[in-house]
Amino acid sequence: MTERLRLEHAVIKYGDNTAVNDVSLSVCSGEMVFITGANGSGKSTLTRGIAGLLTLSSGTLERNGRMSYVPQVEEADRNFPARVREIVLTGTQRPGRLFYSRDDRLRAEGAMRELGIDGLADREIRTLSGGQLRRVFLARALCGEPELLLLDEPCAGLDAESHEVLFSVLGRIIAEGCAVLMVTHDVSDLDWINASRIITLSEGRIKIS
Amino acid sequence: MNGFLELLSYPFVMRAVTAGTLISVCASVLGVILVLKHYSLIGHGLSEIGFASLSAASALGLPAMAITTPAVITASFIIMYVSQRYRTAGDIAIAIASSAALSLGVIVSSVSGQTSNMSSYLFGSILAMSDSDLLLSVMLSAAVMAVFILFYNRLFLITYNEDYARSLGINTALYQAVISVLTALVVVMGMRFMGTLLISSVIILPAVTARQIASGFRLLVVLSGIISLIAFILGLMVSFMLNLPAGASVVMVNAVILIIVKVLFRK
Repeated sequence: MTERLRLEHAVIKYGDNTAVNDVSLSVCSGEMVFITGANGSGKSTLTRGIAGLLTLSSGTLERNGRMSYVPQVEEADRNFPARVREIVLTGTQRPGRLFYSRDDRLRAEGAMRELGIDGLADREIRTLSGGQLRRVFLARALCGEPELLLLDEPCAGLDAESHEVLFSVLGRIIAEGCAVLMVTHDVSDLDWINASRIITLSEGRIKIS
Repeated sequence: MNGFLELLSYPFVMRAVTAGTLISVCASVLGVILVLKHYSLIGHGLSEIGFASLSAASALGLPAMAITTPAVITASFIIMYVSQRYRTAGDIAIAIASSAALSLGVIVSSVSGQTSNMSSYLFGSILAMSDSDLLLSVMLSAAVMAVFILFYNRLFLITYNEDYARSLGINTALYQAVISVLTALVVVMGMRFMGTLLISSVIILPAVTARQIASGFRLLVVLSGIISLIAFILGLMVSFMLNLPAGASVVMVNAVILIIVKVLFRK
């Protein structure tokens, strides 16, 4: 198994406030790792740090392979003038490539089909429900053919059918060797899939692993 | 109408119309990004910093563009950085910096006895456009168009969600820098004929108007440019026919178009 993510003694601070404190973890290909914890325990901060959106105050972060990140829906500008297909296609962007290829477009169509949102492709994102937008974000992440997938609360507000679609897709990509790290505050999400590891955070530290 | 067409036969009028149209369209296209990223105040802040630089350059007998251009570009970088990092505090910082810069410009103009230039700086002058301004505006338009055509997909992604772009390893700071420089250049060029108090309207109003109609980013960019073009030509016609200040007329036409569109296309 290839190690896709290694985090050692990571510390992330907001000013004087230490949000993530001395966290070490690793995720290998084909593993499904959950991060749980109460609100404010540092889960999202840790994920944003791993995604490269926050700088570690100390410690080391090593990522190996293509990474896709599914942020919380609440971070999105719901009124942005864009259609679902345009948003999904952005998942194929990479440094050094300015235009979409035919292959990129095919992958976007395939991801939308798999997540059951192909019928929404020409809809403006402002007309979508929170659950539909979560599927859009997951389709966008899948387009990038990730070897490491980070998901920040992807199940919040999802109905049972959407849960089933989400975990069926996760099951497929894990079987194909993708490493998945998923943040959730709802422990019932753990019932949907076999986890390789469950990490519980409390006040920025790993409490149980 | 005939009078307006007759005026176009004068080289200085034709020069002003061409340069003004190009700069207005550039301003409106960049305005789409600034409005969607909630940086609407930036144009206003930059133009007032430009006014202070113009006043200082004039008082010291230095070449206006050589002083104003780097000053506004530097301010653009600082304002974008502060707005991005501190959000609400960024708006406050822009408001403070722009009013302080405007006051400084007024004081410098007054102390140096350059108050006759002040009105031209504040409200613009269509006669201010020279041959070199025309050349610069053509080059600036070409640069803005090239950036939007070549980097359209990147600009779309970065405008929608800069964090996501960074997570893909895209150098968002580079694109931010390009937008900062182009915005600063549009402001410096535009404030010559629109005036420092009005140039920000040409950046914001067409984008806000287009936002009422357009359902996608690409259409929004194109519509914003078209609305700006129509408003500029109509504004100049009104200005020539009723003998009104050109910059103010262009802004008023833009405002009227926004109100009409808002009423007709209520979402």
